[in-house]
Amino acid sequence: TSPEEFFKSGHTNNWAVLVDTSRFWFNYRHVANVLSIYRSCKRLGIPDSRIILMVADDMACNPRNPRPATVFNNANNQINVYGDDVEVDYRGYEVTVENFIRVLTGRLPPSTPRSKRLLSDEHSNVLVYMTGHGGDGFLKFQDAEEISNVELADAFEQMWQKRRYHEVFFMIDTCQAESMFQKFYSPNILAVASSKVGEDSLSHHVDPSIGVYVIDRYTYYALEFLETVTPGSKKTMGQFLEVCPKYQCISTVAKRTDLFRRDVNKVLLTDFFGSVRNVELLPDSIHLQNATLHTHSEDSSDVKSDKPLSYAQQFPMPV
Amino acid sequence: MPGRRWITTIISLGHAAQTFLITINSKVQHYHLFPKSLGDVLTTYKVKELHLSQTQGLWKHEKWGYPPEDAPPGDELWVWFQPHSGVDQTWADLVNALSGLFCASLNFMDSKSTVQPRWSFRPAGLASEFYSANSRFVRYSTLPREVVCTENLTPWKKLLPCGSKIGLASLLNSVKIYDGFYHSLGVHVRSVCQDTQCLTPATELKQTLTVVYDPTTNKNGKQDWSFQSMFDRTLQSQCPLADTRKIYVDVTTQETLPKFSLSPVPDFVLNQKRSGEERKIAVYQIGNHLSPSSLNLKAMYEEKLTFSNSSLPPVYANRFVTGYGLERGGVTCMIYNTMSSNTTVIFMETVPWFLRVYFSSLRIENDGKEIKPYKINFIPAKDRANPYQMELVFRLFANSVTKITYSFERAFLKWTEYPPDANHGFYVSSAVVSTVLPVASQYTATSQSVSLLEESFSDSSSSFFLRLHTETLLVSLPTPDFSMPYNVICLACTVVAIAFGSLHNLTTRDFTASDPSKRKGLVAKLKSFFKKEKESPENKPDSKEEEIPSQKDKDNSKSEEKDSKKKDGNSET
Repeated sequence: TSPEEFFKSGHTNNWAVLVDTSRFWFNYRHVANVLSIYRSCKRLGIPDSRIILMVADDMACNPRNPRPATVFNNANNQINVYGDDVEVDYRGYEVTVENFIRVLTGRLPPSTPRSKRLLSDEHSNVLVYMTGHGGDGFLKFQDAEEISNVELADAFEQMWQKRRYHEVFFMIDTCQAESMFQKFYSPNILAVASSKVGEDSLSHHVDPSIGVYVIDRYTYYALEFLETVTPGSKKTMGQFLEVCPKYQCISTVAKRTDLFRRDVNKVLLTDFFGSVRNVELLPDSIHLQNATLHTHSEDSSDVKSDKPLSYAQQFPMPV
Repeated sequence: MPGRRWITTIISLGHAAQTFLITINSKVQHYHLFPKSLGDVLTTYKVKELHLSQTQGLWKHEKWGYPPEDAPPGDELWVWFQPHSGVDQTWADLVNALSGLFCASLNFMDSKSTVQPRWSFRPAGLASEFYSANSRFVRYSTLPREVVCTENLTPWKKLLPCGSKIGLASLLNSVKIYDGFYHSLGVHVRSVCQDTQCLTPATELKQTLTVVYDPTTNKNGKQDWSFQSMFDRTLQSQCPLADTRKIYVDVTTQETLPKFSLSPVPDFVLNQKRSGEERKIAVYQIGNHLSPSSLNLKAMYEEKLTFSNSSLPPVYANRFVTGYGLERGGVTCMIYNTMSSNTTVIFMETVPWFLRVYFSSLRIENDGKEIKPYKINFIPAKDRANPYQMELVFRLFANSVTKITYSFERAFLKWTEYPPDANHGFYVSSAVVSTVLPVASQYTATSQSVSLLEESFSDSSSSFFLRLHTETLLVSLPTPDFSMPYNVICLACTVVAIAFGSLHNLTTRDFTASDPSKRKGLVAKLKSFFKKEKESPENKPDSKEEEIPSQKDKDNSKSEEKDSKKKDGNSET
């Protein structure tokens, strides 16, 4: 393949920032939403080190959950979207507007560990998924604070100016979700929302054994679509944007493509949801020199003491 | 040999508690078996000893005896640092690094919940007396609210040399583990002796997972258990990197009631003798049982489960909140000593700053008589900076209950300091009771000087260090009504509308006297209203003339002015 073919998409790495902003048991479906997208991203190749998962409340190990350590997307089909290998980076009270914007813009305190940082560069495609309760122009975080669409647009602009993304795919599943991307003004952002301004996004169905709605309609049908995608799939973003027509979703799925430079019908789905690495197999073998450094630490750490060491006395009081 | 590794499992009976104990012993900075991710954190932050436990559920000492590693509900972290300056900053950085490593909100362990225990948490490994007596280098903190779920098990499993695909760790099915009464993950790092001479230290990493199941969920009422029923899996492989791969099952009561039999038959049975307590432990070498098919260890009971009074452990404790209302309250802790000998106990409590403890109300009572503690270490809290720290050393008399009580006052928090679910309440971390037992009754912990569980089976010492954690407390603070702003806005706007509206009317409208004889009934008023509407576009100039005669009553000068103005107006037009 020629170099132009090789780097057609322009990105070299994929990141995902998946946020669930709702607390309390009756918002089980929001956790199921975000875990569905998490599961798809992991399955299509984005590793945990490149996914920042923010879940505001614990549903899987909640005492009310009749099937502990599981979160299902469907009362019957039973895909355990929680899985056995999940890593949540921001949990519980850590999911705040401040932390979310700090993650996006990279302005985190120096002691933040790597797994909590979005270390993207100008060749990163970032998938941002948000779900929760929203309204016209805002998204509620944990019933205590809100992020407005202006703040979000400014955060993406900061990311653009700091060259923290190549392209962003912004997905949002809340009520009146379209309002959240209306104020975007940075280039290379493709956005889709589960409902237009003035419409509510609806949930899919109730699981009688749990007593709450299990998943939202848009994410349910999105997951259904994504389950058919494999890492080598040639499905396009244009097809993904048509997921959940009005008769299925009841709300109208809104999208924003004017800020996006490429034609959505030619963009692969795995450009955002997967981490497809272009690998070129070389027919020749390359010999590497054995250059292991002889570390002196083996000797230096062997600090021998003169007297034998003893264990500390655990109970320092007379018995 | 740089690194050695053992895996052991102990399975106790009755309540089907099992503990996975995985111990790795290696030299510093040799990452052959020791996980590099944890090793890097320990080296960067100059950690000498680290003890982290993540637990969900409460360990019932009265029913279940003592676990190998006692842990409070939630997350507990205590660390001994290498001597250096600026330990507070190192601690703050360390908890952030660990929060990323273990997917837990350990970054909330800031100065508001961190204490430096003086007597309670001495180093568990090698340390000089001078170093361990100095509480400058130790930090202790707990998060009682923290949830433990699969996202905490995943990084714990990733620290293991063989990972979670082969060996005993492959049994760990999160769906089954989190279905139990109690589960506790532990990571313990300390320095130990490499050999009997003990001139160079080695680093020991011990990972523990203790789970308590209810085996009687089986339909026939018998407490039969097996790997298949507990984990939904059988053991199919063993980790080749491990030196010792064994399973231990406590069979002390196998011949007495309740009778049960193990399948497959154990390789041999060891006698564990620890001053005063004899136990029989059945041992399985995993390698012997993997072929031809996988190992599914089963215990089959002959009769159905009957509940009986189990023997109480030597020392156990209960703690609870007393009082009512949202202004004051109290905390009472009852410590039970069922032995026939006295024992000294260290009682440590950490109370958050917003429960203002009255130190003068602290009382220790035994059977109505007041006990004076030998030593007291009480550091009062600083608002929004440090918690209350209390350590008491006193004597527990034989066969008695000692009651510790103190009262507190609840503080008002600023409205920004409430968590998003403010009406849930605030948690107070467990109290820690440390003592030394003369008999190893129901004691399952490993001795301090050994690493292997098996090595502590023939412990000839006569003193066993015990650490207990009590329940956590949930306390409500006076909480504002957070739905209040909406209501206030409605009310305030209504008041403003009424006040402003009334004032506006008063100042801008003219009052005219009306002839009471000309008052009309409601129907007549409606008719005249509709008539006026029809007439008003035509009669606008006339209406002014109608007003003038009524104003004549008020002030002649005014009306004359108006007449003249009108005339002027007319003449102009």
